Parts: sequence; C-alpha cells; structure tokens
Amino acid sequence: MKPFQSIAVGYDGSHDATVAARWAMEAAKDFGAVVTIVHATGLREHLHQQFVADVTPPELIALAQECAFDESGLHWLVANGDACSVLLRMASPPINADMLVVGSRGEGKREGLLLGSTSLEVAEHASVPVVVVPSSYVEN
Amino acid sequence: MVLVVNETFDDSSHEDAGHPERPDRLVAARTAIDDLHLDEDLVVVPAHSATREELVRVHIGNYLDELSAYCYSGGGDIDQDTYATLNSFTIAKYAAGSGLAVIDELQRRNDGVGFVAARPPGHHALADRAMGFCLLNNVAVAAAALRSQGERVLIVDWDVHHGNGTQQIFWDVPEVLYVSTHQWPLFPGTGSVNEVGGRHATDRTVNIPLPPGATGDIVRRGIDEMAGPVIDAFDPTWVLVSAGFDAHREDPMADLRLTSGDFALMARGVSDYAPQPGRLVMFLEGGYDLDALRSSIHASLSAALGQTYDGESPSNGGPGTEQIERMRQARRSTIELLHTSDDEESTR
Ligand SMILES: [Zn+2]
Repeated sequence: MKPFQSIAVGYDGSHDATVAARWAMEAAKDFGAVVTIVHATGLREHLHQQFVADVTPPELIALAQECAFDESGLHWLVANGDACSVLLRMASPPINADMLVVGSRGEGKREGLLLGSTSLEVAEHASVPVVVVPSSYVEN
Repeated sequence: MVLVVNETFDDSSHEDAGHPERPDRLVAARTAIDDLHLDEDLVVVPAHSATREELVRVHIGNYLDELSAYCYSGGGDIDQDTYATLNSFTIAKYAAGSGLAVIDELQRRNDGVGFVAARPPGHHALADRAMGFCLLNNVAVAAAALRSQGERVLIVDWDVHHGNGTQQIFWDVPEVLYVSTHQWPLFPGTGSVNEVGGRHATDRTVNIPLPPGATGDIVRRGIDEMAGPVIDAFDPTWVLVSAGFDAHREDPMADLRLTSGDFALMARGVSDYAPQPGRLVMFLEGGYDLDALRSSIHASLSAALGQTYDGESPSNGGPGTEQIERMRQARRSTIELLHTSDDEESTR
C-alpha cells in the first residue's frame, strides 16, 4: 500500500477536534505525510470571527511541538462552509488529501444519533479513507 | 393584483436562544404585508404541511426519517449553525408545504403574486442533509411539484448566500433553471461561476458571485447580463424567488450594500420573467436585521404588485463592475469545454 501523503483533519477548537489533530500529527510522522488542519467557517461565524485565515492558532503550534511534528509539514486552512462539506472538499485539489481525520463529536452534539454527527456524515460521503478518533483516545 | 400568502402556522417553538434565525423574523414579514394595506386584495390560503410524497421529490427518504426521529426525540444542534427542536420537523413541513398551497391558489386564479412567509428557510438544505439554518428545501419542493406538472421553472436566488442545496437538487435537471447572486467568498463556499449544471442540464445553473461591498446596480447588472439571455432562451412558465434579504447593507450576516429600494427593482425585474400574472412566488429565505427585513419585504411585494415604492433609494457605485464581463466569459468557456468533452465522448 502506498503510504498516505496528505492528511486533512477538521478542527473547531473543541476537545474532540484537538484529540483528532494530535492523532493526525502522530500518524503523519509515521507516514511522512503533511497535515492540513482545516476550520469550517459556518454561516454564523460571520457574526463573531473566531479563527483567522493566515494565522495558525497558537494551540495547534504548541500541539505540533508537543508531538515533535515538524511545523513545515503543518498547514492551516480556513474555508467557508459547514464542517462536513469543507472536510470532504479536502480530498480534491489543491489539498488532495488521501486521508480525512475527524473527532468523534464536535461541540454540543448529542450522543447516539446519526444526524448531527460530522464524523458519520463525512464517513458516508468521503472518497478516501476516514479515521474517526474517539474523544478518549490517548497515544501510548 | 392580489397578493396570495400562506396562513401563519405556529413556528414559535422552532427557536434556539440567541440564534439569529428566530421567530421574530416572521413577525417582521407579517408587518411588512400589513403595511401594504391590501384589504380584499390580500388572499390568505391555509398553510399546508408537505406530505412525504411531496418531500421525496427532493429529499431522500432516509434523511426524512432521521430528521423526524431526531426532532421527536427532542432535537439539538445538527451542526455549528443549524438546530432542531421537538417541533422543528412539523414546522419545517409547513414551511415546505405552504409554497404548494400558494401555487394552487395562483393556478386557480391565473392572477396575483405569491409570497411564502415561512421558516426555517430552505435553500441550503441538501437532498440528504440539513445545514445553514435549513432543514427542508422549501423552494425546491415547490419547483419539483411544478416540474411534475410539466412546467419549466426559473428559480432566482437573491439571498446573499449561495443556495447550495437548491443547486445540488436541480444540478442535472433541465426543466429547472437556477440563478443565484451571492457574496463570494462566503458560506457555504459553493457558487463559483464555473458551476454551470450537470451533463443533462449544462447551462441550467447560473452563478453570479459578487465581492463584499457590491451594491444593487452590480447585482442587477449581473442578473441582466449573465442570466438574462439564459432565462430568455429557457422561457420559464413559472418564476420562484429564493428571497433572502441578508444582502441588505444593515444585515449582520454579510457585507453586500443593498437597500430596500434595490429589492424593489429586483422584484420588478423578476416579475418581467413571469410569462403571465399568477406565475411568480417569492419564498422567504435569510434576512436577520428585522428593520431591514421588514422594509425589504415591503419593497419587494410593492414592486411585484406594480405599486410604487418610495422608501430607501437603490444603491450604486460599489465594486464588481469590471468583474461581470470576466465572469460572463469564464462561464462561456466552461460551457464550451463541457460541450467539447461531450462531443469527444460521443464520437469515441
Ligand atoms: Zn442567507
């Protein structure tokens, strides 16, 4: 199997997204892949701009250092859309992700329901493998 | 000319504290209608709850089952923007069905203009997914019903956001022409000029993305110059409008600079595309500043009914003029390219 070269991970600042980003960086080290951390700018975000396009959030830089992941292989992307559509788009040019990574639940989601689960929606529609990282996951 | 509107249904329990898509929006819409003082020229038809048969023309059955189960188990956040409550599925079915009731009445009269005052809005709702405040795609349900009767339907979407759901649903459907003006880049990230429709419906999607700060003159030029010839060739038998009012300069959700006077001119413009009276229906989509929403709905309905509107003047002078010719050319080359690759395929 060809090693994965481009991993995209959805990020909304939540605990679950952070766990997913950490897994993506650890995996990317093994594969020698680049990591694109993508934030979906939803409809309401226009009211209170939270993430800025050109500035990688400091907590992600700190996370990369913690994982000893080379920052030159870390890309930050802010894209318009809902979390599911934005992550799915990462499998197309210019990112061409060959693996998508999501946390198991974003902020404010209810357990045990299909609807409202970005991870399941992404898994259902994706054209490349999807990794869903459980929120309790700790690398050992 | 009469105005045909849907009877109000109780939408008060589709709300989420602090969320901009809120019940007060419909109060503003009703005030706008009252301000027209139409008396016996106002026709109110009973609200209609869309049946499963009417909904599955645009949504997949599994999605309807999931949404219904999700709501009846108490609802919750569907994504970062979109919420549902216990009653949301019931309310959304009224929103999706009321357009059909308004259309029935217009067909009976062969006269008048329709306005569907309903929420939640619909144009972001995909065949199999809720998003962008939308659960069921109201305008699409209406267009699909008309299509099943053999009609050719023009949908003009002047909401400030691209109607990705409507575009997706009719992507490859030659009997529906989808025209959208929207700010770009902006949520939901779709709506580039190169998105022109699927293989069986090349040319049936017209996207007119506009830069932040664009004024009404540019939006109207975009519609006239980019969509006008396509609409004339399509020769619609019905005109539906995804009438969002969040392109108004006071709206907090985006950065276009339109006034209510612009909406009056646009409403006049779309009326001209209807082949006869009784073939134009506007559907409320976005619009989150209540004063702007009220005045813009009032302006649009006045103009569509042929009254003069003397509120805010139309706006002009914003950026984007030089972009229109470039967009027109980009669209033309995309279509030519698609036709060429089709020809190559067929000669192979
Ligand atoms: Zn909108």
